[in-house]
Amino acid sequence: MDLDTDVPMEDVEDLKHNASESHSATGDATPSNNNTTNAHKKQDLNPTSVSQLDEWIDKLSKCEPLSEADVKRLCDMAIDVLQFEENVQPVQVPVTICGDVHGQFHDLIELFKIGGPCPDTNYLFMGDYVDRGYYSVETVSYLVCLKVRYPNRITILRGNHESRQITQVYGFYDECLRKYGSATVWKLFTDLFDYFPITALVDNKVFCLHGGLSPMIETIDQVRELNRIQEVPHEGPMCDLLWSDPDDRGGWGISPRGAGFTFGQDISEQFNHTNDLSLIARAHQLVMEGFSWSHQESVVTIFSAPNYCYRCGNQAAIMEVDEQHNRQFLQYDPSVRPGEPTVTRKTPDYFL
Amino acid sequence: MLSPSEKQDKLIRATDLDALSCRYSSNSLSYFVPPDPFINELVSSYQTYLQYSTGYSSLSAGRVLRSVLNKKLPLINKGTYLRTIAIDLVVEDFIQEFKNCQIISLGGGSDTRCFRVLNKHKSGVVYHEIDFPESVKIKKLAISKSKQLQRIVNCSDNDIVDVASKEQFEKVSPGMHSDRYHLSAYDLRTLSMESDEGRALLATVDANLPTLVLSECVLCYMAPDENELVLKFWKSVIKNLLAFIIYEPMSLNDAFGDTMTRNLQERGINLLTFNHFPNLASRQEFLSGKCGLSNVKLSDMSDIAGYNSMSEAPMKPWIPAEELKRISRLEMIDEVEEIRLLLEHYCLCYGEFCGSLQSVTFKGIDNYRWLIPDVKCSDNGNKST
Repeated sequence: MDLDTDVPMEDVEDLKHNASESHSATGDATPSNNNTTNAHKKQDLNPTSVSQLDEWIDKLSKCEPLSEADVKRLCDMAIDVLQFEENVQPVQVPVTICGDVHGQFHDLIELFKIGGPCPDTNYLFMGDYVDRGYYSVETVSYLVCLKVRYPNRITILRGNHESRQITQVYGFYDECLRKYGSATVWKLFTDLFDYFPITALVDNKVFCLHGGLSPMIETIDQVRELNRIQEVPHEGPMCDLLWSDPDDRGGWGISPRGAGFTFGQDISEQFNHTNDLSLIARAHQLVMEGFSWSHQESVVTIFSAPNYCYRCGNQAAIMEVDEQHNRQFLQYDPSVRPGEPTVTRKTPDYFL
Repeated sequence: MLSPSEKQDKLIRATDLDALSCRYSSNSLSYFVPPDPFINELVSSYQTYLQYSTGYSSLSAGRVLRSVLNKKLPLINKGTYLRTIAIDLVVEDFIQEFKNCQIISLGGGSDTRCFRVLNKHKSGVVYHEIDFPESVKIKKLAISKSKQLQRIVNCSDNDIVDVASKEQFEKVSPGMHSDRYHLSAYDLRTLSMESDEGRALLATVDANLPTLVLSECVLCYMAPDENELVLKFWKSVIKNLLAFIIYEPMSLNDAFGDTMTRNLQERGINLLTFNHFPNLASRQEFLSGKCGLSNVKLSDMSDIAGYNSMSEAPMKPWIPAEELKRISRLEMIDEVEEIRLLLEHYCLCYGEFCGSLQSVTFKGIDNYRWLIPDVKCSDNGNKST
């Protein structure tokens, strides 16, 4: 099944028209992982859009949210990019792979300091940009801006928190109400999340996704057949890919999270063998060192929110994969924010 | 202006608002079955009277109270449910076993357990609550506003008060006493039989009843030697079985603990036992070795919640599987490792003094699974077996 058949024909016509715009003006003229096999030509940015995006990126890098009207424009532009990405988005090496960010905007800036700025470094984010932290709006706006500005330099996958239901419980919805006075921005972003790719494949060897495997998915081709453009379902393969966790116990198990499954080393090894993979890279779980191997190095968990929720005291990490497929982990601690008045920051809840 | 120590006390009293806020949030999401029928009375008492309390203005009270009704994260709702249920279970089993007994709740603040227990057990149980005068007044005013609460605690009309200014609040006598309920104002850090207040407090206590003392995040704000003083004070008073159930955070000497210390210090709160007794082993040593309690048992809330897959003791789990399933359906826990981490930093400790009746012990406590289940009698002879 071809997912892109969802796209109305007139949009494709528009894209073809816009594609005649100057290519070099985007500043992204030498994409390292331009996917020429893609059935549809992606829209190239016109100079006005480029300067608009640069302005937004500049504003957001100071942790200042965009106006509601600008978020609307940004999301429209992002849909034009993301709808053409694949369920299993191909990514070339070198790339730096990152886990959960969860609205910890200042730590995301720290991540780019550690890993190098975008677009100098290629990035692959494995979801969970929103909820929990206090700056979900700024974080997701910033990453989506980078995605639209440098579409071939950064890949942003969908996490289980990029969903209408979860964001209403875990903070993004409330934050949008607080910062914009209405749910419009929340609606715009959660509608956009439906277009995010759900997995990525780095050089055909490293399978990247937010959660883990699904008992209904044996081959990567089966992921390609899913219709991903929808709210994260409560069950089924798409839900599992965003919710499952590796476990010490073999086989499939019931997840204590209430969604997805746990999968054992036998499952991981079989999947990697079937699909000729060297590694499954995933996020989704708090790990105190920022990364953690499981299943005899057939699965790695990467978590990029240091001191998660301002409470957990954990380190964060990102994983660099170079041209030779060498892997290196870069760990980092929470960003120090001198001059930020601590009194304005609510301390996290404890049982007192 | 408040002195530094008064400021510190105000911050500690304000932790009761955290606890109330958490209970309010859990309750509104149907964690408790049946729902807590009394919590709204306590919330409304704070809403009306906090502004008159020491160190607050109507402006600052309003600011503090605005956040009290805020929804909490699922892991906080679940943890609040767990702490409440675990202690409820121990209290209920204690009452079932001893019939005629007294419960002494230290620093209970706006807790509604007293009302729930007295409403269920119309006779046999005497419930004591001891807290800072300011906190006691808020509770007394809540009772004064509610015919239902007055009936439950069986107080007399003389105890009913109302206030409409700081001056009137100041003048409210901090206490309320009936045949089944004693609400007393006392700074637990200075417990002593030598003072008038100490003697007044003791006059309300029946030294011959089996007694269960509850400390739910209270002793943690007192220094280790004050902890010992509190335990030994009650030991010197109660001649029958004296049991303690203590719930509080511990640092585990890890990054989570360090972060918690820092976060709470930002709010001006110092946890005095948190790093001093960082884990279950050091608490066992303190309770059993230093304080001389016997039958000491310890666990952490992560194990009580069933998150500790390592523990396979054949003992009955604290919370039945069906009930845990009901809870897990209320709100999706998005991050299991985080809640496990949070809960393992909270301990539940039990210990007892057997008084002069050497053979009396609380058998019901053995019904539950403890990570450190069986500490044999310490060498100072508090227990004959």
